[in-house]
Formats: sequence, C-alpha cells, structure tokens
Amino acid sequence: MNKRKILIILENKPGALARVVGLFHQRGYNIASLHVDAVEDVSQYSWLENNLSINLKPNEVSEMTISTTVSDTLLTQILRQINKLIDVLYAEEKI
Amino acid sequence: MQALHEESVDLIFGYPGGAALHVYDAVFRQDKIEHILVRHEQGATHAADGYARSTGKPGVVLVTSGPGATNAVTGIATAFMDSIPMVVLSCQVASHLIGTDAFQETDMIGISRPIVKHSFSIENPNEIPRVIKEAFHIATTGRQGPVVIDIPKDMTAPDKKFNYDYPSEVDIRSYKPPVAPSDKQVQRAVDAILASEKPVLYAGGGAISSNASSELIELNKILRAPVTNTLMGLGVYPASDPYFLGMLGMHGTYQANMAMHNADLIIAIGARFDDRITNTPSLFAPNAKIIHLDIDYSSVSKIIEANIALFGEVKNSLNKIISKLNDGSNNHNPEKFIPWLNKIAEWKALHGLNHDLYLDQTDNNMILPQQVVQHVYQETEGNAFVTSDVGQHQMFAAQYYHFDEPRKWINSGSMGTMGFGLPAAMGVKLAHPKEEVVCITGEGSIQMCIQELSTCLQYNLPIKIININNEALGMVKQWQDMNYGGRHSESTYQNSLPNFVELARSFGHEGIKIEKNSDLKEGLRKAFSLKDKLVFVDIYVDPSEHVYPMLVAPNGSLKDIWLGKDKKA
Repeated sequence: MNKRKILIILENKPGALARVVGLFHQRGYNIASLHVDAVEDVSQYSWLENNLSINLKPNEVSEMTISTTVSDTLLTQILRQINKLIDVLYAEEKI
Repeated sequence: MQALHEESVDLIFGYPGGAALHVYDAVFRQDKIEHILVRHEQGATHAADGYARSTGKPGVVLVTSGPGATNAVTGIATAFMDSIPMVVLSCQVASHLIGTDAFQETDMIGISRPIVKHSFSIENPNEIPRVIKEAFHIATTGRQGPVVIDIPKDMTAPDKKFNYDYPSEVDIRSYKPPVAPSDKQVQRAVDAILASEKPVLYAGGGAISSNASSELIELNKILRAPVTNTLMGLGVYPASDPYFLGMLGMHGTYQANMAMHNADLIIAIGARFDDRITNTPSLFAPNAKIIHLDIDYSSVSKIIEANIALFGEVKNSLNKIISKLNDGSNNHNPEKFIPWLNKIAEWKALHGLNHDLYLDQTDNNMILPQQVVQHVYQETEGNAFVTSDVGQHQMFAAQYYHFDEPRKWINSGSMGTMGFGLPAAMGVKLAHPKEEVVCITGEGSIQMCIQELSTCLQYNLPIKIININNEALGMVKQWQDMNYGGRHSESTYQNSLPNFVELARSFGHEGIKIEKNSDLKEGLRKAFSLKDKLVFVDIYVDPSEHVYPMLVAPNGSLKDIWLGKDKKA
C-alpha cells in the first residue's frame, strides 16, 4: 500500500467533478487529497491533443489531482473506473 | 418527440405529472410514437427494460419530476446492473425554481448518479436534439446502460421556439469504447486454446448485448469444447446442444461448476466473474488460465486476474478468434477434448438435474416448483419469452426452462429486483405481440408490481402469469433454514395472501388456481389455450422445497456444493 497520485483531465462541465468524487465513494476508495482547476494554458496538454486528435480551448477542460493510498491492483481498477466516466479524457498515475 | 422519432423510437413507457405536462402535450399531438401509460413509474422502467432485453433496442421512459423520478430509480438501477440500454427522460421543475425546494422538486441527477452510465441536464432548449442523440449513442454503445436526461419544465415550454437541428452523427471526444482486440492478443488467445486440454467456454450477458450468439456457436463448431452460461447469458448458447453444461454459479449445475473448478483454461465471453459465479475468488478455478473477452476495461482483472485480455465488442473478438483458427496456420484437433468431455459426462450422470419431473404424476399430490417450470416448458414447447422475478422460482426457471435462443430469458440478474417480472413481460409482449410471453413469479414478487395488471388490460396484453406460490419468501426462508436454525424471521405472511384468482378477475383478467399435482398439466394447458386473455395461474407448491444445487458459502469453492438438504458433494 503506497500513497499514489492520480492525474485526471476531464471536461469542465457541471457535475463532472461530482462524478469522479462520487465514484471514489461508491467503490469504497479513499481520497487523501484533491485539487481541481480549469486549464487556462492548454499548451501543456498538446500531447493529449495529439493522442486523442482533438483541440482544446482555454478553460474547456479541468485538471484534477487526487492522492489515495492503494495497492497496485486496486490502482489499476480505480484508473479504469475513472476512465470509464463519460466526461473523463484522461486518467493515469502521476509519477 | 421529434428527436425520439429520429432515433427510431416506436414505444415509450411513462406517467405524466406537473413538470411533464408540456412534453405530454407533445405526446398527444403526434402519432409516430406509442405511449404506454403504466400504473407506477417502476413499472415503466421495468417494461422499457423488458422491451430492451428482448429486442436489443433501447427502452425509453418518460416520467415527471420528484416522486415520478424517484419511483423510476429501482428500474434504472436494475438496467444499470445488467447493462441494459435505456434512456430515461425525467422532467424537472422550471429552471428558476431549482434549488428552492419547489413542489415535486428532487435532484434526479444527484440521486441517479451512481446508477446511470451517464446523465444530462438540459440548460437550453437548443441542446435537446444533440443531447438526445448523445444519450442514445452512450446508452447503446460500449458497455450498454441507462442514461438519464433531466429536463426542466421551462425547457419544453411551447413559447420557447428554437431551430430544430438533429445532428446526423455523434462524436463525444471523451468517450471511445474499444472496438476489437489487436491481432497479437488474439494470437495469444488462440495459442492458449490450442495448448489447453480442459477448457470451458463461460459466456454471459455481454455476449447477448453484443449479439454474438451465432459467433459463439460457430466458434464451438470448431472447438467442440464444453460451454456454460451465466444466469444473464442463458440462451446465448443453445441449451439443447450436447456441449452445453447448463448454468454455472450459486445454483448452477454440478457438472458446470465442477468443469469450471477443474478447467485448465476458462474463456470468459462477456461475463464478469460476479460473486454468484466465483464463490470465494481465492479458491476459484485454481489451475485455470483465463482469457477474458469484454468491452469494459474495468470488468477485466477486477475479481479474477486475466492472463489474456481481449478488449472490444465480444462479437468482433470472437470473429477474430474464428478467423485465426480457420486460416490454416493454427490446427485444432477437437478429439483431444474427448477425455475432458467424458469426465464432465460422468459428473452429469452422478449429480445432474432431473429434467423428467414433469412425467411424475403419481408420488404424493403435492406439486414441486421444478415440475411447474418443466410443465410450462412442455406446454410452450420451449419457445416462449420467459420473464421472472427474484427468488426460488427464478432459479427453478433458469435451471429447468431450456433456452435455445438469446433474449428469451428476461430476468433481473445482478440487482435481483423483486417486482421486475410482470412489467418486464409487458415490455416484451408489446415488442413481440405474436409470441407467447410467460412471467414465472412467486406470490412475494408479484405483489410488488401487481398494479400493472391494470395496464395489461388497457393495452390488451395476454401474458401468462405463473405464480409459484409457496406462501413464503422462499429464498429467504431457504437461507434461514440452512444458516439460521430454521428461524423464519418475517418470511411468511400468516394467512394474509390475497385470493389471486379473484384479484386477477377484478382487474378484468382470467385466474386459475391449481393445488394438486394431478391437475397441473390440465390447468396449464387450459391457461395457454386462452390465447387472448391474460391468465393468472396461481399454483400452490410444496413450501419446504429448496433450490439445489447450491454452492457452500461463505468460504467455499466451486466444488463445494449442497446437492440436497443433507447431502454435500
């Protein structure tokens, strides 16, 4: 069990944050800390734009960092559950 | 309504109310879509669910705000847990009243969040066509599921005119479900299949959602391996096929569970290693490699670690495996499975289910619930759509009605929702008016949505209700018998059951009561001969009967099985 950080890029839409936070509660995962902000400078996510063949506009997506204490297996499962949310563009461990 | 029509919706299930009045006026002023007025919103969701499961098309529900929306919640959760495509339009109080505790206001987006695939809230009437398009796309692709659209009343006001523009295509940049696995993964799966000596194909509801029944049959024409289906998968592989082992899991057949436990390779096809299947995960199939075909990344390696994962539409994954097996580079010799199949045949001969109970007319005159299902199977020649509720009758139906086609067995598998059977049967009957639709239920479950008998009269739905009446909540009672020293806490009704025959008649239907084994065959024959009537057949059965086989739980494996009240395998 280690403290892990997860980076999530999600659509900046009403309710999107609640879906991620709700998911942690529903599936019995723990949140140690959470930070979320709209992304003004989208140039830092040009790699994501390339990967998904999309163009991001300022404040169109939010960047969320969640830290949680979990095992490797559970982390994979959490990431897959977060990625399944319709509003989520990207979720991976932040190293 | 125009947007729904563009999604080829022909039927919606709903119940009007204050916040829904504008939409209902639009329902009135069109004739392309038929609206079915249920008697309770739970009935609407289950009916839409039955429609969806039996056709593969999404079910559509329209309810009002507040209690209309909350009453729909159980049905939405049922569809969510079984991955059934559904679009629920829940009306809401006007935008300016949201957050003021207005009359019939409830936060439907919040309440439904954990039990929907996605939800939308309309903030501008211009969005309605696009949101409906996206909702249907999300509900019917990937791992299917229910989508809620919350529509404040002012968004549908007739004075809100907008340019109606229905998008021809849909593209949600953050939603791209996998389509087909890579060739490399498929080759790894094929290599594992060719190396195995004791494989089992384990297919579930995902194989039905993906319409992959013919591919599964085609694959096993090549492999000739044993096949088992989950409760949700029944019918996706024909029950009458000699390679079929029956259902597996908690109340699965002895041979299916023993085959899984002793397998060296399990090929999971649209199945998710639910706790009713694995029993104790750490004791599950100790020597088996796992190939897992699924469209949902989060279903793979959630409970049981997969050695080889094939992500994508199950249908595409199966087709790719079939092509590889047929391309000449991979030679499969089905004869090597013969010793394994012989071993399974021994297990079946030892403790398989007795499928000839319906022949027994003599023993004592008490009716066994298993006999009822077998007689229904005989009377309908195995061709009926069968919906069920939840409990002992559901397991007896799953064990003894043999489904040779997918989408004919309609039950609430994961959620286990009592009250599902009758409204689901309405949805099935409306989708398939010429087919025989049977609801196998119990006196507990049927009373949870019995008000829908009234809907059945309004729309002339001649369903056959087979009420397996043991005057108790049978499955609860069984667990109390087995694990709680026979203390039947709140699982019996103390002679308070209604006269179901008179009840059915008061709703304008026909009722038949059967109490003796010697009357069973004739009574059922009479019920099925009344083609144009809904018939409520109230059948009193031996109340002491338990469902077996039954896995030993907790802490058991798939080979730890109760075969009878005092008999363990």
